[in-house]
Amino acid sequence: MAPTPRDRLATIVRYLAPKLVQFAFVIWATYTVTFLLIHFLPGDPVLAALSLKGGDATTTDPAELAALRAQYGLDGSLWQQYLGHFVSALRGDLGVSIATGQPVTDMVARALPNTAAVAVLALLLGVVTAVIITFLAFVSPWRWLRQTLLQIPPLGVATPAFLSGLVLVSVFSFGLGWFPSSGSRNPLGVVLPAITLALPVGAIFFQVFSAAVLEAMTGPYVFTAVAKGLSTRTIFLRHVLRNSLLPSVTILGLLIGYLAGGTAVVETVFSRDGIGRITVDAVLARDTNVIQGVVIIVALVYSVVNLLVDLSYGLIDPRTRPTLGGRRGLSTRATAAREKAVVES
Amino acid sequence: MSRSTPQFSRWVAAPVAALATVGLLAACSTPLASAEDTVIFAIKEDPTCLDPQQTSMTTALNIGRQVVDSLTDQNADTGEIVPWLAESFETNDDLTAFTFTLRDDVTFSDDTALTAEVVKANFDALAALGSAASLASQYLAGYEDTVVSDDSTLTVNFSTPNAQFLQGTSTMTLGLVAEASTAATAEERCQSVIGSGPFVYDSYVPNDSVVIVKRAGYDWASTLREHSGEALVSTIEFPIITENGVRTGGLESGEFDIIQDLPYADEARFDTDDFNLYSQANTGVPNSLIPNTSRPIVSDDAVRHAMLLGTDREEIKTLTGATNSEPPTSALTSSTTGFDSQADAMEYDPDAAMALLDDAGWIEGADGIREKDGVKLSVSVTAFYAQDVLETVQMQLKKIGIDLTLNMVTAGDFFGAIASGDYDFLGAALTRTDPDALRVLFSQAASSHWAIVDDAELESVLAEQATTADADARSALVEQAQELIIDNAYLIPTLETTQLHASVANVDGVAFDSASRIVLYDVRIAE
Repeated sequence: MAPTPRDRLATIVRYLAPKLVQFAFVIWATYTVTFLLIHFLPGDPVLAALSLKGGDATTTDPAELAALRAQYGLDGSLWQQYLGHFVSALRGDLGVSIATGQPVTDMVARALPNTAAVAVLALLLGVVTAVIITFLAFVSPWRWLRQTLLQIPPLGVATPAFLSGLVLVSVFSFGLGWFPSSGSRNPLGVVLPAITLALPVGAIFFQVFSAAVLEAMTGPYVFTAVAKGLSTRTIFLRHVLRNSLLPSVTILGLLIGYLAGGTAVVETVFSRDGIGRITVDAVLARDTNVIQGVVIIVALVYSVVNLLVDLSYGLIDPRTRPTLGGRRGLSTRATAAREKAVVES
Repeated sequence: MSRSTPQFSRWVAAPVAALATVGLLAACSTPLASAEDTVIFAIKEDPTCLDPQQTSMTTALNIGRQVVDSLTDQNADTGEIVPWLAESFETNDDLTAFTFTLRDDVTFSDDTALTAEVVKANFDALAALGSAASLASQYLAGYEDTVVSDDSTLTVNFSTPNAQFLQGTSTMTLGLVAEASTAATAEERCQSVIGSGPFVYDSYVPNDSVVIVKRAGYDWASTLREHSGEALVSTIEFPIITENGVRTGGLESGEFDIIQDLPYADEARFDTDDFNLYSQANTGVPNSLIPNTSRPIVSDDAVRHAMLLGTDREEIKTLTGATNSEPPTSALTSSTTGFDSQADAMEYDPDAAMALLDDAGWIEGADGIREKDGVKLSVSVTAFYAQDVLETVQMQLKKIGIDLTLNMVTAGDFFGAIASGDYDFLGAALTRTDPDALRVLFSQAASSHWAIVDDAELESVLAEQATTADADARSALVEQAQELIIDNAYLIPTLETTQLHASVANVDGVAFDSASRIVLYDVRIAE
């Protein structure tokens, strides 16, 4: 019986609804946990933010502090603050930074493209390098060469970004003068920070990807392919790569989340404006509105990416596709057929 | 010889004087010029707020000084207050009224004129900003109103005498902005203000850079500057470079012309013919341990005295690499007007310190830390910077049997501790150009005093100096206050902080104002 459009819709809804609920829950939970963490930290956010601007002239007069607290929506009970900020956030208003006086949405909108540029380039460089090294290891006729190649990428995790960043600046900015050492004014300024970040990101991706490839190498379908006389390149691109996609996409989702919030170190070394810098500054100044705003944005990015990763499973591996008719299980025959298709396509 | 000497000298002197005059005129008429139009000045942190009236962050003030002019200027060497935007100024006897006569040719960069009304709007707006401009509210303590007599004359009135106000008018904190800026909100002003200075704000990208450009037609520089007329370069870029290694590397490679805050450790590397170093000691109260004498152990005079004598300031200087600075010898730094050395009373003498503690009944315990009636001689210091200085003090005090615990906190928690009075000692410096810094720190009547001491004599001396117009009499009172503070060990000075900056050798004209902030009006780059 052919599925009606209505069935199809129902299937999609059944498939998507839990994921969307999960999505909303993650955002809400992140918001709430951050709110509680900030508010149970010792210290006074208004004093902390004022001291950034006032230095040794910071006012400690209780009456004036109370007035400022009211101005930034930090007065009232915990519940009032929580609900007040939450309702504003739903409306897209993340409040005003206590330290700089700028709207948090403006600050994030200004910094996000800079961070995204570095993150995307770092991800591309990291992933492409990891794939190339893995391929070289895959085609290597000698065991010792393969082992050596597989040992290189973990160095990327072992070297702190702070150190590799400074080394890159010394060589390529101060020594050779190829790239600017700092700032986001020059478009080329994105290169060195991206390379710095590509090292750990590529290394993490490599660990997962190469493991999947090596596992696939021992699989029966590779054996079959080799027996059929297919070239190594064809086997790698058509069979092995496809089979290692699932774990790779999963780790990519995690890496994007890490990059969205974890660029603080390179943004400090390379003096770039970005989400990481804003976060560090905000935490140091206990600028609660900014911390909260940034966490929400990062949680959004992270959740969207994970949603996409989730959905992509269906495209990559048909076995994980939702089935029509509402049954969870797939017919054994269909599974077998698809498995065969994957293996022999 | 019968020829009279005066006669002779007049003969000789006339041509010499004439020559000298010609030479001087020649020097004046050779205009200073810059071979390059743009100066790149790497700063160490985001200025956060560009309004010099609100901020007291050095980085922000180093930029703000170029954009905002003040009523008066202060000679950094002599402490003398000289005219700037105000042609002349006078004070009444009890320091409650200050009358200024303005220059009539000054305009702000939005082409509005500087009038007495604008000055009044500035002070009224500052008074209204309150704690958003915390330093200004200290200068304006007791502010009553500003009375405008005519377009260029005004009188600022205070309800109580205010000895620091005149000096305050030379600082950027009381610098003047255009009427449009006085009407803006505190947040808007942080993004940009309109001043009458030799430069105007061109752009500010937070965490990235600030750019200022030359103001055409500027012609009212303070007489303390090297030239008059417009600034010598057309653009100054301030990239924000937080990483020390990138700032010094960029200076070496020529990417930056000037850098702010050269780390002390790099001083030797840049002390060559290829670079210029600029250093000036901060004014005010040096880095010190500031006591809360309402705490049991801190209230013990013998303990505080022992700490004063048991601190080796020469060693602190050496160990922290602050080779450019002088060890502090009073409650004020040597660069502050009214400084009076108390070196004898605070000379390093660990034996005397130990004798004091022995006499007071603090006996050395098994772990080398002294005890009395089962109480350990252990005190804490709350601070948010200069950890290396405090670690050195900790090491030195341990030698005489005192345990100093370091409580390093964030800036916010530091001021939180001040607000609640919850500390044994604070570790900090207080930067102010006027010796009134002592009153801000020690007078229990001052709104945010840091030291908690119970001393009626000191209190009255501090109050009196703030209301004394006669410079000599005031200076005597300030000396008396320093003596009282050191004699009673109400302060344990540790290190004089210096501002240390560096530039490539062909940069010239970088100057400090009396508050150790940078003035770039004369800056130029040679071929």
